[in-house]
Amino acid sequence: MTTISEPAPPQAAPIVTGRTIRLRHGKALLRHVGGTLGITLPVFFIATLITFLLGVVSGLDPAAGIAGDAASPETVARIRTDLGLDQPVVFQYLHWIGGVLRGDLGTSWFNGVPASELILQRLPISLSIAGVALLVGVVFGLGLGLVAGVRHGGRLDRAITLFAALVSSLPPFVVAFVLILIFSLWLGWLPSSGYVPFADDPIGWLAAVSIPAVALSVDVIADLARQLRTGLVVALSENYVTGAVVRGLSRRRILFVHVLRNASGPALTVLALKVPMLIGGAVVTEAIFNMPGMGKLAADSALRGDVPVVQGTLVVSILLILACNLCVNILLGVLQPAARRRS
Amino acid sequence: MIRQLLRYPSARAAFVILAVVAVLAVFGPFLAPHDPLAQDGSALLQPPGTRYWLGTDALGRDVFSRLLAGSTVSVLASLLSVSIGLVLGVVPGLLSVFLGRRFEWINLRVIDALMMLPFLVFAIAMTAMLGNGLVQAMFAVGILITPAFFRVTRAAALSIANAEYIEAARLMGASTSAILRRHVVAKVLPPVAVAAASMTGACLSIVASLTFLGIGVVPPDPTWGGLLATDLANLYDRPFGPVAPALLIVATVWALNALADALRDSGRKETAA
Repeated sequence: MTTISEPAPPQAAPIVTGRTIRLRHGKALLRHVGGTLGITLPVFFIATLITFLLGVVSGLDPAAGIAGDAASPETVARIRTDLGLDQPVVFQYLHWIGGVLRGDLGTSWFNGVPASELILQRLPISLSIAGVALLVGVVFGLGLGLVAGVRHGGRLDRAITLFAALVSSLPPFVVAFVLILIFSLWLGWLPSSGYVPFADDPIGWLAAVSIPAVALSVDVIADLARQLRTGLVVALSENYVTGAVVRGLSRRRILFVHVLRNASGPALTVLALKVPMLIGGAVVTEAIFNMPGMGKLAADSALRGDVPVVQGTLVVSILLILACNLCVNILLGVLQPAARRRS
Repeated sequence: MIRQLLRYPSARAAFVILAVVAVLAVFGPFLAPHDPLAQDGSALLQPPGTRYWLGTDALGRDVFSRLLAGSTVSVLASLLSVSIGLVLGVVPGLLSVFLGRRFEWINLRVIDALMMLPFLVFAIAMTAMLGNGLVQAMFAVGILITPAFFRVTRAAALSIANAEYIEAARLMGASTSAILRRHVVAKVLPPVAVAAASMTGACLSIVASLTFLGIGVVPPDPTWGGLLATDLANLYDRPFGPVAPALLIVATVWALNALADALRDSGRKETAA
């Protein structure tokens, strides 16, 4: 990944050393990262443009609100000019996205507080839920998928496949109900609402976050397990596996060093697609568990017509999602050299 | 086609469930034994009984009647969202394969961008900011699910775009639209049907999530998701309150998924034979 420090000495015949192979890999990887970025940037601008247009299409106008009921049409027009609302939409977007890139998300039309401040207050809650959900989803999804894939056709595999099929038809809030019923009402182990900051009480934080996060992760577990199982079943039947068995490599080495890397592609791709659902889905769990997170902020602001705050929450969510996707794509490139060519 | 599907036991069960749901959706409001909005002050938060089959909520409204009356809106909303997503996804999905690289690049990036939007938050924001209503909610969900249809259509179209018989048709002078109509649509339809069945299930659960949050439907009007929300508020008084609406949602979503799986399997057998 680092730059080349010295020019390679002239050689009569190209000798492929370990170092040149590593260099070649490094260059290919850099190109892969560049290609991924080349797609991510336009996607960022289109996604934010859609977000911006949402405010334009809504027809909500802050000028009339700021000017008050008694204002003359001229005053309203002056405020519109001050805010740049009389300019073409494209310029308005460029102005807005310029601010966004400098970290300025505008101020709330409702209470005049900077949107970024409102979002930063709520972000830890949403990140806690989505982050723990992601962690639980990845650990259990990949674990179950691994077991099902290795033992495919067996009783464990059938049980896991059935579980995944059942669970994927459950909306997250139904899962949340069941979990609340069991762990809050019957057993009384976990609270059914409220949020405790991690810095105040890590154990209280975990107790508050665990039911919503698990409810949100169930869908991720099911999908990851299914994808990894399919990937493993396909990869395990490849010729190179037979070759490795013949060469006397241990089962564990074959599975973890050779097969898993090739089998994990679809599961990782699905994981990247699940992140928007996790960050977006947190809004329902936040409502169920009465946590003042970012999703709740977005919903409340949308119902009030507070356009800058809604756009701000969406932009922050989009950035988070794109960052996760970028990581997964780069990981795919590292794990599977073939994936680099595809992108 | 349907006879083939009926060979799968899960598909038979799915058909039965969907038939019941269809009856509920069409006749539900007329079958309701009580007025879904009528409040009975003498019977608040009743457990299931002979007068009120599923009990009453905190305002003394009959839960069973509300469940029946809410079916129409819940089912109709998900069906219409899927139709919107179907049209907006399938047409560009087909064209992206046959209309040149620039069109393809723009389409792919827009679809990528749609997939990167935080799904539920965006649906909520869109619905609320366009004027909180059922039509707005259906449009929001419909637009957000277009990537699913776009990708399925595109994958199916790509798999035959370079087939020899397509090339032969082109050499014989068939126009792009004729090739699309004669050859491509037939190939694309089965996977799209599978996607439509499973997306209807997903939409039902999304619409339930939205109405659960009070988005898309104004509170006094009953919906499955809205019923869940009121039941959750009264969980301590009626711990089994959410069971009926949740079961209805889960059963419908499961039936649609089972139908999609059966469709996929029967399609696979056909191509294998």
